[in-house]
Amino acid sequence: MLLKSTRNEFIKIAAKPRSYLGLVAITVLVGVILFALKADGMSFISFVTSSFEQTLSFEGNILNGNLVAFIVLQMLVIHIPLLVALVTGDLVSGEGAMGTIRMLATKPISRTKLLLSKFIAGGVYTLFIVIWLGIMAVVVGKTIFGSGDLMVLNSDGLVILQDADINWRYIGGFSVAFLALLTVSSLSICLSCFSENSIGPIVTTMSIIILFTIIGTLDVTIFDNIKPFLFTTHMAAWRSFFEDPLPVDQIRQSVVILLVHNVALILISLYKFNKKDITS
Amino acid sequence: MKHIIKIALICLLSLQGFAQDANQLLAELTAKMNSVKDYAVDALITSDIPMVKILPSQATIYFKQKDKFKIDSKGIAIVPKQGFNDIAKLLSQKDSYTAMVMGNEVMNGTKADIVSVFPASDTSDLVLAKLWIDPVNDIVLKSQITTRSSGMVTILYTYGAQKKWGLPDKMVFTVDVKKFKIPKGIATDINKNSAADANKPTAKTGEIKIDLTNYRVNIGIKDEVFVK
Repeated sequence: MLLKSTRNEFIKIAAKPRSYLGLVAITVLVGVILFALKADGMSFISFVTSSFEQTLSFEGNILNGNLVAFIVLQMLVIHIPLLVALVTGDLVSGEGAMGTIRMLATKPISRTKLLLSKFIAGGVYTLFIVIWLGIMAVVVGKTIFGSGDLMVLNSDGLVILQDADINWRYIGGFSVAFLALLTVSSLSICLSCFSENSIGPIVTTMSIIILFTIIGTLDVTIFDNIKPFLFTTHMAAWRSFFEDPLPVDQIRQSVVILLVHNVALILISLYKFNKKDITS
Repeated sequence: MKHIIKIALICLLSLQGFAQDANQLLAELTAKMNSVKDYAVDALITSDIPMVKILPSQATIYFKQKDKFKIDSKGIAIVPKQGFNDIAKLLSQKDSYTAMVMGNEVMNGTKADIVSVFPASDTSDLVLAKLWIDPVNDIVLKSQITTRSSGMVTILYTYGAQKKWGLPDKMVFTVDVKKFKIPKGIATDINKNSAADANKPTAKTGEIKIDLTNYRVNIGIKDEVFVK
């Protein structure tokens, strides 16, 4: 029953034009970034390497597919949550607004299973978005710019990773990015359970992300204790896969915190949805 | 007064003598360098630079007289901006410098003459080049190049089978590195305290070792190879 309901939910997602907005947006955005980097990528690179280039010279193909994919990911991973929330924030409240949730609740499926199917469908949609982003960034990037060593700038300095050592890092990075976006999906579905209209949960999700991101970037000691527990802090955890040596503990901590957020949001949603007096 | 003039004359003559010695040394060195019209060599570049993590990388280095130079690397390689062909470039124009023997030093059992090379032009990027030259084999054992743009680069040369051409088997560059500034916004790491990182002490010099093998000398490298 859960699987059938999940399938129905996914058909509903697929039937909505806004579901394709994310895929189109990623295609256009990545296309624009790839075009810009192809046209004038070296000036972007020199902005990163300028402080090193007074005494050192970088030889080899620096502007390659791996670097381009990394730049694309860095630019887009922050904006993708909006594309996810646009679809998942509508999954419960949208049905409430249309009046179909009441009819759905009369079907021989428990409310828990019904809501879980929405979470699963939302997760599958998020996975599609991440895979599409991966194809556009890594596959298309490598096709246009070729492969090569990856130069990553982090707060410790410059890390240069060899070409053969990169693909598994992308797989790990995308997996953590998926988990972060799944948290956004869970948050928006959770908020959707509290709302009767479509737009409210989407806007609230983005507001929460913006608020938490600002708290995370402010260098104020009062926030130091809560920063490690904000899911937005761990949305950039995919970058950890591009450090050398790999900060396994940091990655594990980020994965645990994101998983705890997901579980907590699902439990809150289930509690609310089961208690909800559906009158629409 | 006579004594002062005598001393001044002796000093001038001895300086001229030092300059002649230096010019002779450099002429012999240049002649040896010029015997290599071009070469290609495989290089293993190992960089140990503060704030930079990079594994050793393979490259092919091409050189053609007078000043054509190219490093062809499959992966990313970090090399010093100065010091590769600067000596050859500088010595190729006799009028562009003044040289003087400053003394000698024993390096790994070999007596080397220390020659200082000063650029003739005030506006030149080069401030001073010091060369430790083995006068018997006409090879540079060590060089210290100071430029306005890149600071000081010290290079130690180790010779093997290609000694007859004056081509080293190993070069060790020590370069001045300023504290690199990481552009804000590009390097945003989670769980990192930027204030703590800023106070971290970093080394002021970096070392780049280049092991050179499989020399192909005077093979007639085409100019197209040097087109980037």
